[in-house]
Formats: sequence, structure tokens, C-alpha cells
Amino acid sequence: MGKEGVNLLKLMATYDKRWGYLLLFILVLLPMIKPIGMPISVSELTKEYYEQLQTLEEGDIVLDSWSTEYSGYMELKPGMIATHKYFIKNGIKIFICLGHPEGLALVGALLEDELKGYMEAYDYTYGEDYIILGFALPNQAATLAMATDFQGSVKVDWKGDSIKGTFLDRVETGADIDMIADFTTAAGNPGLINHIVLTFGTPMIQNQIGVSLPGSYMNLDAGLITGLLASTRGGSELELLIKEPGPGLIAMDAFTLGHYLLIILIVIGNIGFFGWTKKVSEEMESTTIR
Amino acid sequence: MAELLFEIPGVESGRAFGLILILGIFILGIYYMRRGKLPYIRRVAAIDAISEAVGRSTEMGKPVLCSYGRGGFAYSVIAAMSILGHVAKTCAETDTRLLVPTGGSHTGYLTRELAIDIVKGQYTAAGKPEMFNEDDMPFLSGEQYSFTAGYVGMLVRDRPGAVIMTGGHSSEAMNIAEMSNLVGALTITSGTYVSNMAALACASDYIMLVDEQPAAGAYLSKDPEQLATIRVIDIYKVLSLLLIVVGLLVLNTTGNDFIRRLLAS
Amino acid sequence: MIGFVPYFIKVPQVNEFANTLTNISSVVGQFTIVIAIYSQYRRSLRFIRERRKGWVYNIYLLTFMSLMILIGFTWGEHNATYMWLVNSIVAPCSSVVYGILAFYMFSAGARAFRARSLKASLLIVAGVIVLLYQAPLTGSYIPGLSPYATFLTETVGMSLNRMFAIAIITGAIMLNVRMLTGRELAFLGFAREEES
Repeated sequence: MGKEGVNLLKLMATYDKRWGYLLLFILVLLPMIKPIGMPISVSELTKEYYEQLQTLEEGDIVLDSWSTEYSGYMELKPGMIATHKYFIKNGIKIFICLGHPEGLALVGALLEDELKGYMEAYDYTYGEDYIILGFALPNQAATLAMATDFQGSVKVDWKGDSIKGTFLDRVETGADIDMIADFTTAAGNPGLINHIVLTFGTPMIQNQIGVSLPGSYMNLDAGLITGLLASTRGGSELELLIKEPGPGLIAMDAFTLGHYLLIILIVIGNIGFFGWTKKVSEEMESTTIR
Repeated sequence: MAELLFEIPGVESGRAFGLILILGIFILGIYYMRRGKLPYIRRVAAIDAISEAVGRSTEMGKPVLCSYGRGGFAYSVIAAMSILGHVAKTCAETDTRLLVPTGGSHTGYLTRELAIDIVKGQYTAAGKPEMFNEDDMPFLSGEQYSFTAGYVGMLVRDRPGAVIMTGGHSSEAMNIAEMSNLVGALTITSGTYVSNMAALACASDYIMLVDEQPAAGAYLSKDPEQLATIRVIDIYKVLSLLLIVVGLLVLNTTGNDFIRRLLAS
Repeated sequence: MIGFVPYFIKVPQVNEFANTLTNISSVVGQFTIVIAIYSQYRRSLRFIRERRKGWVYNIYLLTFMSLMILIGFTWGEHNATYMWLVNSIVAPCSSVVYGILAFYMFSAGARAFRARSLKASLLIVAGVIVLLYQAPLTGSYIPGLSPYATFLTETVGMSLNRMFAIAIITGAIMLNVRMLTGRELAFLGFAREEES
């Protein structure tokens, strides 16, 4: 290996990371513009989540907790859309509680931009099938109040209109909630587990972002949550299961290519490390005057 | 739900053992805090890294950036304040500028006041009260990502030689750690948020995992309360390990799920 | 104590009082926003007056902060203009900062995984297995990868997370013990004095 070989190894060891960013950007952007249509498998985790959804019957009441900022919504979007499409299609009543002030933006983004046509097709109307309670779960105290005395703590929706005469008249305590669907970015709202799941045995499913999954796996293993949807990938798998393709499936090509690029760069980096960096540091050590 | 081993009258079902464990923490904690003799903890390796980081910044003529997290008065934030005090003391002694970005949550304003007291106190104790500048401890924002944007802005504009990010940071820690790497700073972080520990381990030069950071804070401050906390945590870790090992052995040899029923009680 | 006791011991009267107390504390807590806004105005105005480095950004910050507070208080948060500001400025900015994380994790991972030692090599192998499993395409074509990746994430990873959780929660309870016994006054604003 002459000078050319040594330069290649040096390049592998010392390339500017911005080239990596550019490559990643291209590999993510291109499949989103022109999808390749790579096959995806459905994990056991998503199948369990779907089985939990299937336990719901028409008319059941679900506490729909959106404890995510707009940034997290980008990752949870496929799962949120797919889950809500299931709720709409099967006539499940939901009351939406926001756990973050940025949730206001989500209402427009999800309900008005993504699901409006779907809701009209299934005649899913506000007040009869879904109600938005607004920033109703800011902390554990609010969750506890809602769980123990729903009618006493919640009287109006997010616009100040009374909720009397709606399906929420059936809810007195957490025991009257048939399921909790939590879309969250961090540890979520622990109050939902502490004050509703543990107290009343209400089943809870969760759609969690990738970085926070390890914490949610513990809750799943302990039986505190009965279904877990893992980030964008879980959302895309759910789209496949409910046969409603959406943004998740479109993103999976990019997802796959991004992962493979990282593996390739790890391999390249290690080749560069052994072929160049290690040799250079060994040479420097041997020539150091002591 | 597993069958309960015992119930205590008056106590909610399935919470009796939890209550006993918590009472155990209370009793052990008070015992160690009042004992007089300070519990021994070993010197955490990260403390040397902190000294190295500050020294590096002093030699390069660059400031040190130290943050304590964005939560309220959480356990990790209190421990991070001890580290902040140590860093402030070292910076005061070596005439190095210290930057402390604060905020990140609505309760961040309350912890900021304590941080200001600590840093000011250290500069005064070193005989250099004029070195303290409150503008070097800006309240960036009460929102997580606005705080992150401000923090990254400080990194890019001030180009610190070292970034010491301890306490309660969540997903923004990754942003900050990688950016500090990009500006060439020595990055020391602590992973108190379980989910981003793996990512931080990749991005940082040194990382303190879980209770290494409170241990470092306790070691530096020699605060009896913090040392007692570390001792109680260690006792409970050993207890957990014993319960797991005994439970597994008993279950696999005799088929008795005594430990499981105990934990469910 | 009033918040903690009802979780374990059935005392209905204390339950009710605990609910009221927690409601009060959450309302009081929101007033820290007022302090934060005041602090931000004070600092930004001083920076603008003294023409400090980056002072133009402070004008931008104060303008939009004031605009949103004014519109929010005058016309409510459901007002079209307010929602437009949230949807067009706040939401995309928040998403961008979060989105950049992907690039940072990417470069951190590519930089950090070097086989410097046996342990590091094992870590790389484990990391590559999990990455391959996470990629949906590999999950289709190499189903044999699943048990190994699942073992790493659910057995190894989860057990470590549980131990971390035990440490964090015990520490949090100890902090409360310190506060209740008066040994920790930091939350009242008293910094501990250095003992020489």
C-alpha cells in the first residue's frame, strides 16, 4: 500500500462529520420524496398493542392523554394517527387531555389537518364522540383530582363549554374509564399510573418516543402498561396492521437507510482507527523523547 | 396480580411492603445523618476529570461552562449544586471565567437563586468577589427547547474549554453534549435520566452514571446529609440484589414464590 | 407528609385535604412563570441598553414574547392569530431543535464506537445487532436476529434500567427525608456554608 492507501485510511479516520450529516440528510430525504417500498416486519410489541386496542368495544370511553410537545409529536405522529383512526373507525369515545402547553398546536395538527376527512367519513363528531378538555393534566395533582372526582374537577371543555349532557356524564371516577391511551415523550404522566392504573386497574397503552423506551419497557414488563408502541417504527407497523397506510410507512425506508448508514460509518471509522489513528499514536509514542 | 404474603390492617392493599421499604429509608437516613461519623465513600473518577477540565480551560484562556440541570429541587439538582460549588471554587482560585446557564423549566428560576448564592459565595470565599458577574448566569428560558437553543448559543459564542453538565438534564443533554464536542470543549456529563444515558456516553468525554454524580457531589461537599443519602442508596441496592438472588434461588429450587408474594404485598 | 400518607393509609379526611393542598401548590407553582418573565425582560433590556454581544436577538425575543402575551391575554389562546404564531413559529422551532438530535446522535455514535479494547468491541457488536434489528428491513429478512436483539434490550438493558431506577428513587425519597427533618434547606434558598 503506497501513499494512496495511507491517505484513504487517514480519510476514513479523520473525515469531517458534516459529510456524514449531508449523507444522512440525502438518505432520509430521497426515500420520503420517492418511496422505495422496502418490506417491514411487525414486532411482537406492536401486535400486543393492537390486541389491546381490539379489546375495546363501540361506545367505550378512552382517556386520550397527549403529554407531548410539538417536537415529540413529529416522532409519535404515525402512532397517533393510526391509533386515532382505530378509535374513529370503531366508534370509541375519547376525551383528550393535554399534558403540555404546546399541545394546543397538536389539536390543530392532528384533528384538523390529518384526521378531519376521516372523522367526517365516519361521522365522528365533537361532543358526541370526542371532547377536548385542554390542558387538563398538567401534573399529578390534577390527575388525582380527575381520577377521584371527575365530575367535580372537570366541568368545561377547552373552550369553556359545559360537558354536561355528553358521554362524560358516565364518568365519575377513574373506574369508569375503559382505557388510557398515553402519547408521551418522557416519563409521561406518572399520575396516570399511580392514580388510575394502580388504583382502579384501568388498562393503559402508551406510544413512546425512541429515547424514552427503556423506561417504558420496565412499566410494560411490570404490567403497569399493557401495550407499548415504539416510536415511528411502531406507528408504521400499526398502520400496516389496521390497513391504513400513512406517514409512518413512508418514513420506514428512510429509517432503514439511516440505520444502515450509521453501521457503515462505524465500520469505516474502525478501519480508519486501526489503519491510521492507532498507528500514528504508536509512532508518536515510540519517537517521544523521555 | 400475585397473591399477597401479608396485609397490614388500615394500609391499602398491595402497598404494605412499599410502606415498610420507605419507612426503612426514613429510619436509615435519619440514623446516618445523626450518626456524627461521616460515612465513607470512595473518590469518584469524574472528580479528577472535573479538575482536569478546569485546568485545561485555564491554560487555554477559555471559560468553563457548568450547568446543574433544568428541574426544580430534585435530588440530582441538589447534588449538582455541590459540584457547581466545587467548580466555582476552582475557577475563582485560577481566575477562570465561569458561565452557568440556568432555566429550562418554570421551577428553574427558584434553583437559579440558590446557584447564584453558591457561586457568589465561592468567589467571596476566594477573596475575589469582583469576579462574580450575574450576567454569566443567565436565565435562558422556562421551556426545554428554548433553553437548549440558548445553551447552544452560549457554547457557540463563548467557546468554553470545558462543559460540565450535571444534574437533571433530559433529552436536550444530547444536543448540548454533541455541540460542546463540536466547539472543542472537554465534555463531562451525568446521566440521571435513564433514557439518554447511552447517547450521552457516546457524546461525552466523561460520564457519571446515575448515582456517581450525587456521590461526586457528596464527596466534594463532605455534606453529612448527602453522604447519608449515598449510603442509604447503596444499602437498598444490596437489599434489592439479595431479594433478586434469594427469590430466584428459592423459586428455582423449591418452586416457592415467597419473595414475589412479599414484593406484591 | 399529607400528600404521602393517603397513598398508603386509608384516611378519607386526609385524602380530601391532600387534594386541596396539591391543587394549591400547583397554582402557586405557576406563578414562577411571572418571575421568569420579569427576569427575562430585565436582563434583555439591560443587554439592549448596553449593546452587549448578540443584543439584536434580545429585541427579537422581547418583541415576540410581548406579542404572544398580549394576544393571549386579550383574545385568548384559541384566537386565530395566537394559534398561527404557535403553529408557525413555536411548533416548527421546537421540532427543529428536536430533529437536530438525530444528526447529533448519528455523529456521536459514529465517533464513539471504536474497538479500543475487548469491552469496547463487545459493545460495538451489541450495538450493531440492535441497530440491525431496529431497521425494519433486516427484521423481515433476518428473523434470526430478533432473539439476540430482544435479549440485549429486554434482559440486559431493562435490568440495568431497573437498577438505575432503584437508585434514583431511593435518592429522591432520601431528599424528602432531608427536607422533612430540616436537614436540607436549599429549597428555601439557603445555600450551605463551606466548612474549611
